[in-house]
Amino acid sequence: MKLDETVRKETAYAAVWVAALSLVMEAVFLLLRKWEMPVLWGNLIGAAAAVGNYLLLAVTVTRAAGGPKEKIALKVRSSMTARLLGQAGICAAAIGLLHTNVYATVIPLLFPRIGIAFRPWVDRKRGKTAADSEGSEMLD
Amino acid sequence: MEMVSLAVGIMLGLCGVGAGLALIAGIGPGIGEGQAVAAACEAIGRQPEAKSDVTSTMIMGCAIAETTGLYGLIIGILLIFVAPGIFSGVLKDTVLALK
Repeated sequence: MKLDETVRKETAYAAVWVAALSLVMEAVFLLLRKWEMPVLWGNLIGAAAAVGNYLLLAVTVTRAAGGPKEKIALKVRSSMTARLLGQAGICAAAIGLLHTNVYATVIPLLFPRIGIAFRPWVDRKRGKTAADSEGSEMLD
Repeated sequence: MEMVSLAVGIMLGLCGVGAGLALIAGIGPGIGEGQAVAAACEAIGRQPEAKSDVTSTMIMGCAIAETTGLYGLIIGILLIFVAPGIFSGVLKDTVLALK
């Protein structure tokens, strides 16, 4: 399966942010003296679910093109439902069966969103032009 | 003690209902995302040279829209796995204090 260049770039960006914020979260658990192995396992599973969800989202929206508008909308909607249920299943299985830390499992799901919030700042640091980062600024 | 068991049972049931209601938040983003992607595909069709920029913005937009559903999912998971322990502890303490 060959991935689109944009998909690879966006997923890598999200993965870097998830990894960085996971380290921060682990440090916070350490500082609070609540760090245990279930925290690490929960973090790893939550982070993998978050990055996997982002990758599947990117693949879905890039491959949705073609066909009538209603069909595209339906395809994306069903993908979103499946991904949400998949994440719920992964988190529930990790917490219920592997007894991972609940907070360490669910918090990483929001890390890609935090990365997107910092996107205009990252683009400015990279020296992108205003026109290049216009889209991401509009989203925030 | 029977009253406590009944109260804990009702509380567990309500946590389950709450988790189900929280997941309703997943419906809206799906509809919005579908509309956005369909419109973006039309835009790419009109301007194929802007495909990379449109796709990038579209992915970020979808991820942002999806966060609302994720909030609901997280609240649902917390209601199922965390809240019952906290609430039943509070309930038992209250009943013991009243005795």
